[in-house]
Parts: sequence; structure tokens; C-alpha cells
Amino acid sequence: MTFSVGVDVGGTFTDLAAVGKDGRVVARKVLSTPADQSEGVANAMAALGAPGRDVTRIAHGTTVVTNLLLERKGARVVLCATAGAADLLELRRQERASLYDLSMHHPAPLVPDERVVAVDERIAAVAVRKVLTNAEATRVATEVAALNPDIVVVSLLHAYADNTHENRLAAAIRKRLPNVDVVCSADVLPEIREYERTATAVAEGYARPRVRRYIEHLSARLRANGFPAPNVMTSGGGMLPAVDAASRAASLALSGPAGGVVGAAAVLRAAKLGDALTIDIGGTSADAGLILGGEPLVEPGGSVAGVPIALPRVLVETVSAGGGSIAWVDAGGALRVGPQSAGAVPGPVAFGRGGTEPTVTDAHIVLGRLDAAELSGGVKLDRVNARAAVASLAKQMRATTERTAEAIVAIADAAVARALRRVSVERGVDPRACVLVAFGGGGPLHGCGLADMLGMKRILVPPHAGVLSALGLAIAPERREAATSVMREARSMSKPEVSALHTGLGKRASGAMKGARISAHARVRYAGQGYELDVPFSAREDGAAVARRFVTLHEKRYGFALDRPIEIVAARAAAVGKPHKLALAVKGITAQKPVRGPSVITLPDATMVVARGWTARALPIGGWMLERK
Amino acid sequence: MTARFDALTLSVMSNAVAMIAEEMGTVLERGSLSPNIRERRDASSAIFDSRGRMIAQAAHIPVHLGAMPESVRAVMARKPAPGDVFLLNSPFDGGSHLPDLTMVEAVSERGKIVGYTSVRAHHADVGGMSPGSMPQGATELVQEGLHLPPIRLAPKGVLDESLLELILANVRTPGERRGDLEAQRGACAAGAAGWRALLAREGAPRMAGACDALLDYTERRARARLREIGRVSGRAEDMLEGDGVSDTPVRFAVHLRIDNGSMHLDFTGTSPRVRGNVNTVKAVVRAAAIFVLRSLLDDDVPTNEGISRPVHIVTPDDCVLDARWPSAVAAGNVETSQRVTDLLFAAFADAGVPVPAQGQGTMNNVTFGGPGWTFYETLGGGQGASARGPGPSAVHVGMSNTRNTPIESLERSYPMEITEYRIRRGSGGAGAMAGGDGLVRRYRVLERCTVTLVTERRTRAPRGAMGGSDGAMGINRLNGTPLPAKCRLELNAGDEITLQTPGGGGWGRA
Repeated sequence: MTFSVGVDVGGTFTDLAAVGKDGRVVARKVLSTPADQSEGVANAMAALGAPGRDVTRIAHGTTVVTNLLLERKGARVVLCATAGAADLLELRRQERASLYDLSMHHPAPLVPDERVVAVDERIAAVAVRKVLTNAEATRVATEVAALNPDIVVVSLLHAYADNTHENRLAAAIRKRLPNVDVVCSADVLPEIREYERTATAVAEGYARPRVRRYIEHLSARLRANGFPAPNVMTSGGGMLPAVDAASRAASLALSGPAGGVVGAAAVLRAAKLGDALTIDIGGTSADAGLILGGEPLVEPGGSVAGVPIALPRVLVETVSAGGGSIAWVDAGGALRVGPQSAGAVPGPVAFGRGGTEPTVTDAHIVLGRLDAAELSGGVKLDRVNARAAVASLAKQMRATTERTAEAIVAIADAAVARALRRVSVERGVDPRACVLVAFGGGGPLHGCGLADMLGMKRILVPPHAGVLSALGLAIAPERREAATSVMREARSMSKPEVSALHTGLGKRASGAMKGARISAHARVRYAGQGYELDVPFSAREDGAAVARRFVTLHEKRYGFALDRPIEIVAARAAAVGKPHKLALAVKGITAQKPVRGPSVITLPDATMVVARGWTARALPIGGWMLERK
Repeated sequence: MTARFDALTLSVMSNAVAMIAEEMGTVLERGSLSPNIRERRDASSAIFDSRGRMIAQAAHIPVHLGAMPESVRAVMARKPAPGDVFLLNSPFDGGSHLPDLTMVEAVSERGKIVGYTSVRAHHADVGGMSPGSMPQGATELVQEGLHLPPIRLAPKGVLDESLLELILANVRTPGERRGDLEAQRGACAAGAAGWRALLAREGAPRMAGACDALLDYTERRARARLREIGRVSGRAEDMLEGDGVSDTPVRFAVHLRIDNGSMHLDFTGTSPRVRGNVNTVKAVVRAAAIFVLRSLLDDDVPTNEGISRPVHIVTPDDCVLDARWPSAVAAGNVETSQRVTDLLFAAFADAGVPVPAQGQGTMNNVTFGGPGWTFYETLGGGQGASARGPGPSAVHVGMSNTRNTPIESLERSYPMEITEYRIRRGSGGAGAMAGGDGLVRRYRVLERCTVTLVTERRTRAPRGAMGGSDGAMGINRLNGTPLPAKCRLELNAGDEITLQTPGGGGWGRA
């Protein structure tokens, strides 16, 4: 039997789901290894126990980029920018951080002023105004070297149209610093608007060294055991081969959380449900997402941990609340939960790995909601010490141990509910019209509490809830993209020209992929507009046909047409592999009787709480549907 | 309306309406042609119920905030038919200043008007004496451009081509205007579709109840905050540095009284109407008052017309803040609005309410125009510091929050280059908390053209607070030579115009 394997690394557990050729699922859970995430991945593969030749693919979701952005522990970046416009990162787009809070500041840029090097060159809209001389390139390289960078980002004005200066400068820097990577803005985001392009390139530089080390290290480790190199999920739900992912760090900012929403969407479709809020609760954090019409909501770009990245991403709101979140009493005597987490090491007190501070998991144990003697990953539960830790907090609060444990869970729920509210209410979506998909190790524990807070009546606890993100990764098709600048008037393009564009892009996108489905889009606008519409095109039509389709689309989207020339600015193609077969049906399961709350059900890789007033029914696809009367 | 709404329902509905308004903004931004709209978002979109009450605004621009309801009321006074699309810019009939073309659609559903959608956008030219229609030195409205009372541009949704032709025949850049106006129509239509869908989803009676509840809720929050401030009063005075015709300062005075959850503003003592174009209409004064009040509220308060209910404004009979035909007003909307904001914050400070030190207090209006093109933008500067922290640098303060024009977009669209764009370091006032820095922007023109500057805080610095130093004054230059704060010049190819924008005031002794 061969497998497609998904591995999702969380703050506490590393989850694995292997989907066999027949569509059946095998799940594993091991402890994460924060110091080197690849160790946990290797342990999970070892726990699967399949020989290397049986693993056709490993799809990976990682939080390496998210964590380093959150903790601001990225590389020491030196930015080279056009002289006269070197303050771009600080100037942003001029708007204030809050319309009405006049004291609010934007987060500080990833590169401070003293590490920005001004480059005496200038490309203008139509001409090179000032040539970048070799002498200047050498001078800049020397200045850059003196700043002792981990990585260098080159972002020069108008590089989306003409990147010769960026490339010339990058070459000079590489010559001076042969062991330092150089990122050019036009390679990361070849689009007009200097701030967005520069900020995204800087995020790439900030994250890349660590991501590259990680992916290389992980690939080597897997290879040593006979496994293939991993594919890595992007923030937008795409899937990149390891070699590409190592130089696309900025596109991995939400790699881990995106896998969860993609997995939830797949299960939701299997359950024939449409609109859902998703909540993935792990040991360290909780990720809230939104699925409309069976598809994860994808946004064109935005900030991750306050870092602007103009690349598409699945909508996810992350809060620091999970099983490992530490409960404490603040200076004002109020009970607080998180944002500190005991993580995997030392972990909750109950894990018996040296943790001494009470966590959400310990509170669940006090409340009798974690009945199993042993969690997956081989963690034995130390109930006595867990209870003692919560009791000592209760003493400080002058409350009973049970009451304190309930409060800890309720406070964690409130933080997570706020994230769910942000992804729904703030987008005008009524959570009460949605089903809550609750997964991750902690999702099924908290589902009822969260649904009650938001007035939601239905909860889907998916099959393999504890490893759903990994399952989403395992079944996600491979997806690679290629793009090119075109800058032509649409109607001037002949059929052979359009055909050549399509074929060339398709070949570049699919690379070594076999049997990929190619879809191509032209980025089209009326001359003078600042934004394009994506117009699908085939290899058998001319530019006029593309223009006609654009006019129709434009009319549909914006309600008007203009009598102006129509430009094809760029084109891109995606090569998408076959989605992996997934067989979720479990025989005889519907015969099970509904379970009325309050009740606790131990699932294979998670524990489900059915609260008072809720009824749980087993689903034909596995998993449970909980409903409130 | 007896329907009751829990907090979550109200919040969902409020956000659903705000989403429609934001979607309108997206259609406008993506469909329009001029950089001032598509890049800088110098535009606002809003949704009104069938009674013409503003339920939500996609808020980028505070100066549009309290002023757009006037546009809808002006349209309603003309007895619109369902589906009619109106266009207006008359400051005396629902508008602010002439470049702000406001479109209003009477949303039709089964032959009835069920609401209004409106988009106000600053067009880079509407004719008049000066390319870009932000003239310096205008003394009557007709010099500032084409003056449009609310006209039926598209009766029942069908465009009146001859009317559009008339408009386009009177502006310098008809092709760009046509595209931007089409995008405005598209945005209004998108809003109408969204509003109809929401009504269908929620049911019209329930939605009407929700609108009442939403306006009441915002009003309650505003009054609660005012009650918390208590019964206080404060006075303040400030000056504009000139009216565009002369350098004689224009005086502003206010007496602020907060009492029983209401806010009373009496502008007695403010200068009479002036010859130049810093006159402004009351709707703009109202917008400034609402902005200042809004900044005292928490972030989660929905932005709708309920906020204006506790605000009461009195202006003397002949007042620069109550422009009447034939007053010129182009600079009033952008500069007088800023000064009124400074004035109101100063009055709150006098009343003992903690507010930040003064920010740059100007929008730094820059307009270029040559054969076949016009370009307009405004520039950020320093925000004042407060007890809570230093002032942010190089942002719009007060009544504007437009974005910058990306250098790359600007240079692809106009015969101009930006040769310098940076933070003006050290321009924020010193203090325990430092004021935010201004910025420097230098333009080189590549062909003969005209530039018009309308700026402030060039001779009177933004003041520090509680012993903090003043921010640096702004400076305008032509090829290194200082220029007046408000001026119009003919430029030759290669000339450079530089603006150094003011810094914000510092807070507390350094």
C-alpha cells in the first residue's frame, strides 16, 4: 500500500495523517520539538512505520514563519533602496494606524532606518534616469557588508518593469558577500506599487534564512530515511515543492493554519455542508477560519503579525489560547489565561515533563474531561499533580478547585470566541447561520462552550478531528504557478501569440508534474486603471476574444464598460495535480445511538465534550454532528 | 418598531451594512482611472435607509463623515423616482467643495425607494480658473469649476448622455472623468444590489427596526461618553494664515459646552465670510465636530448618523463657517476643516479633557496641471504627541486619511518624477513624548505646467501641550527658493517643487 502523507507541526503536537491509495486514513500524533521542528516530523514518520518506498508524497504545514514573525526573531536584513526614497518602509501608505485613535502607531518596520542603504540610481517610468554604475554597485556592496547582514533585500523603484538594476546590484553584493543570500523585489512580487512590493520582499528576506535551513534540514532528514522531500503548503492553500518553498518564505506565513481550513473544507464538502466557521485548537494557539459555499475564504493579502505581505492567503485569525495556555492571577487579582503557553516543553503539569504552572489542559483534567490514562504521543497523564496545580491557583483566588477550573476554561473560550467573531461578524456573516467545525486536539473539548457563546446550534466534529490539518495537507493537490509580464494591448495579440503564451506558461508551471490540469489567467484592465481582473483564457483564442471576455467580466463585476483600450498586463498559469482520494465512510457507525450531554466521548485522537443541552450523532463519514435543541 | 435586537444581531447587521459600503469602495478603487481615487482613495461610500439616514460609511475620510447625509437630503428634496441616479457638487445644496462629485442612487425595489447609496469622490479636475480645480486666490464659486446642484444624471438608472456630455465639455480631463464617473455609478449600483440582498435576507420591517436600533445604539454610546466627561466647558481660538487672497489671518473662536450628554458648540467670535476660498459650509463644521467626538469614543462604536444627534452647532449670521452663494470654498473643505478640528481639540483641552498636542493641521494640497492632464494629492505630516505616547510620523491628521500616491503609479500617469520622498526627521516637537515628524516630497516636472499649493502651518507652528515644544512649521520651495503657503506658479520642464510638511507638537516637558 502506498500513502500520501500530511504532517502538520503545531506548538505542542506534530500531527500526521496518511491517506492510502484506497483512500483510508491512518493517523499519528507525536510531541513537537520546537528547537528543531524536523525532529518531530521524523518522529511522526517513524511512528507511521511505513517504508520509504511506500510514501509517494509528504505534504507539510509549518509554523516556522508564523512564529518568527510573531516573535520578531527573523534574520538581520539590510535593505537597499533607491536614493531619495529610502524611507519607504516607515512612510508606508501614509494612512494612520487608526482613524480615531490618534496615538496609535503602526508596528515598527522589520528593517530599522540604520540598516537601509540608499542606492544612487534611478529608473523612471519610461527611461533609465540614472544608470547604476559598477562603481556605485561596488560602493553599496561594501556599505552593505559593513552592516553585517544575514540576508540582503534589494528593492528599487520601477523594478517590476525593469529589474536590470536590481540584478546588477544583487550580483555585486553576491560577489562581495558570496555566502549571503540576496532577495530582489521583482522576483518576490513583480508588481507596481513600491511600498507593497518592498514590504513583501523584506518579509521574504526576514524569514528566508531560517525557512531555508529548516526545509533543507528536514529534507535531508527525510531522505536519510528513504522518504521523498516534502511539499509545503502556502498561505493561500497552494502546495510547493521543497526547493521552491525554501525561496518563497513570505508565502508560507500562514502555512500551518491554512492546512487546517483546507482540511475542514474537504470534510465539510463530504458532509454536504456549505457555510462554516472553523476552529483548530492546539496546545499553544487557536486558529479561526471561515468557509463559505464549501471553499475557504482567500484574501488578496494583508498583515501577518503586523507584517504587511501582499500575497494571497486563506483567512485565519490566530489567538494565543490552547491546551498549554497558562492560567495566572494578575496584579489586580483577576484570573488570566495565556498568552504564555507551556507548549510541548515543559507542557501542562499533567504531562509530567516538568511543567509546574496550571494550564487549560490541567483544568480539563480537574473537570473530568480528559479521561484517557494516556494521550496520543505517549503522554501519560499525571492527574494528581494537575489537580494540585489548579488547587494552588484556586487558593490564591479563594475559590474551589472545580470553580477555578471552570473559570480557566471559560476564559480560554472567550478569547477563542473573539477570534471566531472577527472572522465572521466583522465580515457581516452571522455565526448562527454557520456550522462550527471544531478540530485539533482541543477543538472537540471546547466546541460546545464556543458555540454557546456565539449562539451557534450545530457543531461538526470531523473524523480524525485531532489531526484534521494533517489530513487536509495529505489530500491537497499539488499546485504550482508560473507568471509572466505581458504589457500588450489585448486586441493586438494574434491567436499564435496567445497560444504560445499559454503553452509556455503551462510548461513552466507544471515542470516535472505529470497529468497536471493547467488553467491560465490573463491579468487585464482598461488602460488607465490601477487594478486588473483575472480573465481565464485558452490556447486556442486570440487577444480579441480575451478582450471580449474581459468586457463581460468587468460589466458583471463593476457594472460598466468603457470605450478605452484594453491591456493585458500579465498572465499566469497554475498546474494542479489530482486531488487524493479520500474514503471517510465508516461501516455501521450510524447504528450508534445519539449521545445526550453532559457526556465525554474519547475519540481516537482527541476528546469530545457534549455539554448539557447538546446531542451528538455519529456521522456516516465518521466524526460527529452535535446539535443544540 | 417594537422589534428588539440583541447585541450580536445588531453587531452582525451593522457589520453587514459596513461590508456593503466597503464593497462599494472596492468597486470604485478597482474600476476608476485617476490616481487620486484609485490609489489615494480620496473617496467615501455610504448606505442610507429609505428615510435618508446614514446607516454605515466605509470610513477613510473623516471630512466626508458628517457631510454626506446632506447630499442625500438634497436629493430627497428633489423627489427622486426609484432608480434615479443624481450627481451634485454644490456646496450650498448637499456638497462640500466642487471637486468632490457626489453621486446618489435612489435604490429601487418593486417600484419603491428602499434606501440610498452614495459615493463621494474627489475628481482631479472640474474646470474653473486653475488646472485641478483647487485654485489659490479664487473669490467666487464659479471660478472654482463647474457648479452642479443635484441633477438627475441617470433618470431611473438610464444615463442622460447629453447631461454627461455637458459636464465633460467643461472639464480639462474628460476621458478620465468619464471613467471615474462610470466607476462611481458601478459602486452605487453594487451598493444598491448589496442593500437589496440584505433587505431580502432580513426582511424590510426587521431591517427598518435594526436601523433604528443601530442609530440609537451609536447615539447612546456617544452620549454615555459625554456624560462620563460630565458638565464642563472650554474656549479656544485659532487662526488660518490667510484666505488665499490676502495674508491677513482668519480668526476662529469656539465656546464648547458639554452638558447632560450633549455637546454644544458656539462659534461666535469667528471671522465673517472672507474674500478668498477658505469659507466652508456648515456640513464640514459638523463633520469636524463629529470627528472630534468620534475620536473620544471606543473603536467598536459603529459609524452612523446616530453620532451626530448629541451635537449642536451655532454659527453667527455672517461667518466663514457658513458659506453662502457666491462664496468661494475650495480650500475650506480641506484647510478650514483642519483648523476647526484643532480648535475643537483645544477647547476640549481647555475643558480638562485629555487630548493630544496639535498635529500638522493642514492637508498640504498640491495640484499640478498641464495640457490634457491634472494631478492632485495631499501630504501627511506629524501627529501631536499625547500622554499615551509619541505622535505618529508622516500620516494624515484630523479630517483626512487619504493614502499616498505610489511613486511608480504617479510617474506612469504624469510627466513628473518624485526625486525625494522621506521622513522629515527632527521636525516633531520635543517633549516627554515627542511629536511625530513631517515628511519631505520633491516633484520634478518634465514639461511646462501649472502648480497650485494650498497649505497651512507655514507661519504658525502646531502647538505642543503640557510644556512640550511646538512642531516645526512647513516649508514650500521652488528650486530651493521659499514659496508662500498658498500660491499658483507656472513651471518649466526641470523645475522642482519641494514640500516639507509640519511636525506634530510635543507633549510634556522633555
